[in-house]
Amino acid sequence: MTVPVEWYLVLSAAVFCIGIFGILTRRNALIFLISVELMLNAANINLVAFSHFYGNATGQVFALFTIGLAAAEVAIGIGIILVLTRNFGEADVTLPTEMRW
Amino acid sequence: MVNAFDLVWLIAALPFLSFVVSVTVGRWLPKEGALPGIAATAGSLALSLWAFLTVRSSGAHYENELYTWIDAGGFELTFGVLVDPLSSMMLVLVSLVAFLVHVFSMGYMNDDELHREKGGFPRYYAGLGLFSASMLAFVFSSNLLMAFMFFELVGLCSWILIGFWFREEAPPSAAKKAFLVTRFGDYFFLVGVVGILVTFGTSGFADGGFPQIASHFLETGEGADHIWVPGDLDTQTWFSILGLLVLGGVIGKSAQFPLHTWLPDAMEGPTPVSALIHAATMVAAGVYLVARMFGFYAGLPTVLAIIAFIGGFTALFAASMGVVKDDIKQVLAYSTISQYGYMMLALGVGGYVAASFHLLNHAFFKALLFLGAGAVIVATHHHQDMWKLGGLKREMPVTYYTFLAGSLALAGIVPFSGFWSKDEVLYDALLIGLEQPLFLAAYAMGLLAVFLTGFYTFRMVFLTFHGEPRSEHAEHPEPLRWNTKGPLAVLGVLATVTGLLNMKPVAELIGNHDILYLENWLDSGTAANGGEWMGSLTYHHYGHLVHEVAGLHEGSPPPSAELAPIVFGAISLSLALGGALLAKSIYDVPEPERMTDRLGPVGRVVQRNYYLDEFQVWLATGVTEPVARASNTFDQGIIDGAVNATSSVSLFSGERVRRIQSGAVTNYVLVIVMSLIVFVVAVGIVGGWFL
Repeated sequence: MTVPVEWYLVLSAAVFCIGIFGILTRRNALIFLISVELMLNAANINLVAFSHFYGNATGQVFALFTIGLAAAEVAIGIGIILVLTRNFGEADVTLPTEMRW
Repeated sequence: MVNAFDLVWLIAALPFLSFVVSVTVGRWLPKEGALPGIAATAGSLALSLWAFLTVRSSGAHYENELYTWIDAGGFELTFGVLVDPLSSMMLVLVSLVAFLVHVFSMGYMNDDELHREKGGFPRYYAGLGLFSASMLAFVFSSNLLMAFMFFELVGLCSWILIGFWFREEAPPSAAKKAFLVTRFGDYFFLVGVVGILVTFGTSGFADGGFPQIASHFLETGEGADHIWVPGDLDTQTWFSILGLLVLGGVIGKSAQFPLHTWLPDAMEGPTPVSALIHAATMVAAGVYLVARMFGFYAGLPTVLAIIAFIGGFTALFAASMGVVKDDIKQVLAYSTISQYGYMMLALGVGGYVAASFHLLNHAFFKALLFLGAGAVIVATHHHQDMWKLGGLKREMPVTYYTFLAGSLALAGIVPFSGFWSKDEVLYDALLIGLEQPLFLAAYAMGLLAVFLTGFYTFRMVFLTFHGEPRSEHAEHPEPLRWNTKGPLAVLGVLATVTGLLNMKPVAELIGNHDILYLENWLDSGTAANGGEWMGSLTYHHYGHLVHEVAGLHEGSPPPSAELAPIVFGAISLSLALGGALLAKSIYDVPEPERMTDRLGPVGRVVQRNYYLDEFQVWLATGVTEPVARASNTFDQGIIDGAVNATSSVSLFSGERVRRIQSGAVTNYVLVIVMSLIVFVVAVGIVGGWFL
């Protein structure tokens, strides 16, 4: 007996919403990064679920790409957080507001 | 063998060359540029005479394209030469007067101590050269566009020469006035030129040109396909509008009411320049233009009536102002306006020959009078006020007798030239006036002006030359040299005899029309190549148009056709003599009195030129300026205001809207998420997901 595809979608949507919730409510940049990872992985779940549903490996291959991309993203993100901490003393994303008009 | 016609372009090129020489190397030449000018105008005169004699011997017209300016496929703008009886006569006249003025200038400018100090002669002769060149080119222009260009060049030269003494106060302002007032008229002329080019596709004067197309259409109704008319306007009305537009330029240049105000001010220029402006160039250009395209005007009764009425009115109006002037050059200036009024009157009644005749005679006697006045001015160390002259008759006999000949011609005393032409003008006006009352009014004004002309002319002669000297300078005038006396003598002879060219009353009396040399001259014409009849430029053709197409029929004068010219000639002669005798009784006394003071308020109004200058200044400052200011306000307030308001609204709203950029990433994410949710919900509602 297989798990129906809708369940995967519900799981994926739930993980995605948790990610968004994290971004909207937290101020720590590290939590931000983790939330973004959650959202990316929600998308991965989608990809794999549909890949399995259609019996086509393309989605799974694509999920591998996304994981690679996420790794690169984390590398850059950690770098930014390091600079942030060095300049402001803490990793609060609401502090740097110079990048506006 | 060289054909005279192939060298016609040289007639204008020679004075232009003298202009170039004077401008470039003039100051190192002996007499500072006078000699090249004299040589060039003498060459022009010789070539003009040659062309004239060739036209006479072969009876040929000559039309030739010199240069195609723009060729737009079926539509060409060209420069060309048209030599026919009218233009060849005018070429001789202009080059002769220009030549004499150049010679006289040498005596007036170079020999005169006062002018010698001021210098600037190369500039002066350069101006004279360019002036002569542009007028001569205007005269032989083969189409209206070319004529317009040289017409403008004539205006430019008048500006250069009137403002010759630019360091003084009055001449530059007079030059500007002349330029602006004539330019006001020329504006209409330019619109007219464009209109004629659009309407007919050509602006040529000769056969196949617009006068012929227009008159052919008006006469037969044929050829309407080739004539462009705006909207559903009546073709004749449209022609009249075009004619009136061109007439605007004529009124400006020929100083007709109400654009005459520049001419008396133009007296600020050197006197020989006044002679040139009044006799042969500039002012003559306007009347010549009407004569040149008379085939166009001749079929338009409304325009003819306007021309005649303006002419008659100007003749009287200007004569009345000439009566009260104290400056000898001012009197001559108003007499010029008045005489050109007669020419316009003649053209308005179809008196093409009379107008050309008066143009010819006037050129000689007015050049003579101005040069005579110049001689008086130079001899008395620049005294122009007639009340400071007097008694010059004994000391300056050559000047006196030639001036007297010119005055007799101007006043219209038999047998001097002015009598014959003025009489013909008035007689032509009378014949038309007997049928059409409006023309009779113009005739009456012209006739009344004869009396005033006789009066102011002899007032001028008596005050200047008769009686006792009224100032030290008038008592001991400087002696004059040949270069002032020579031109005076030549013009004196011409002013006396040119009237014999067209003695209409005599011809009618003895029934011999062969002695009407000028009329026969202007009625001749065959084409040079092919021997075809150039019928559209003859007096006969014009007369036919005026009578049959425009419907201006000649009435029959009260006595018989043979006697009438004599009778009406006698009337105008007695009026002129009456004016002269009145002037004699008042002013030919040892101690003449200023009568103008006794005229009271009327005299003051006339002396101030009917406040026309003030009126025009008021038009500029009282009407044009407020209108301009109002438009400025409209432009700045409404037009610019709308633009500015648009930009300040965007600026202000941009200032407000940018506040939503907080710089905090969290807020942006919130906006993105909320927008997405709103979008999805909206798509859902429209797509009906929730139903």
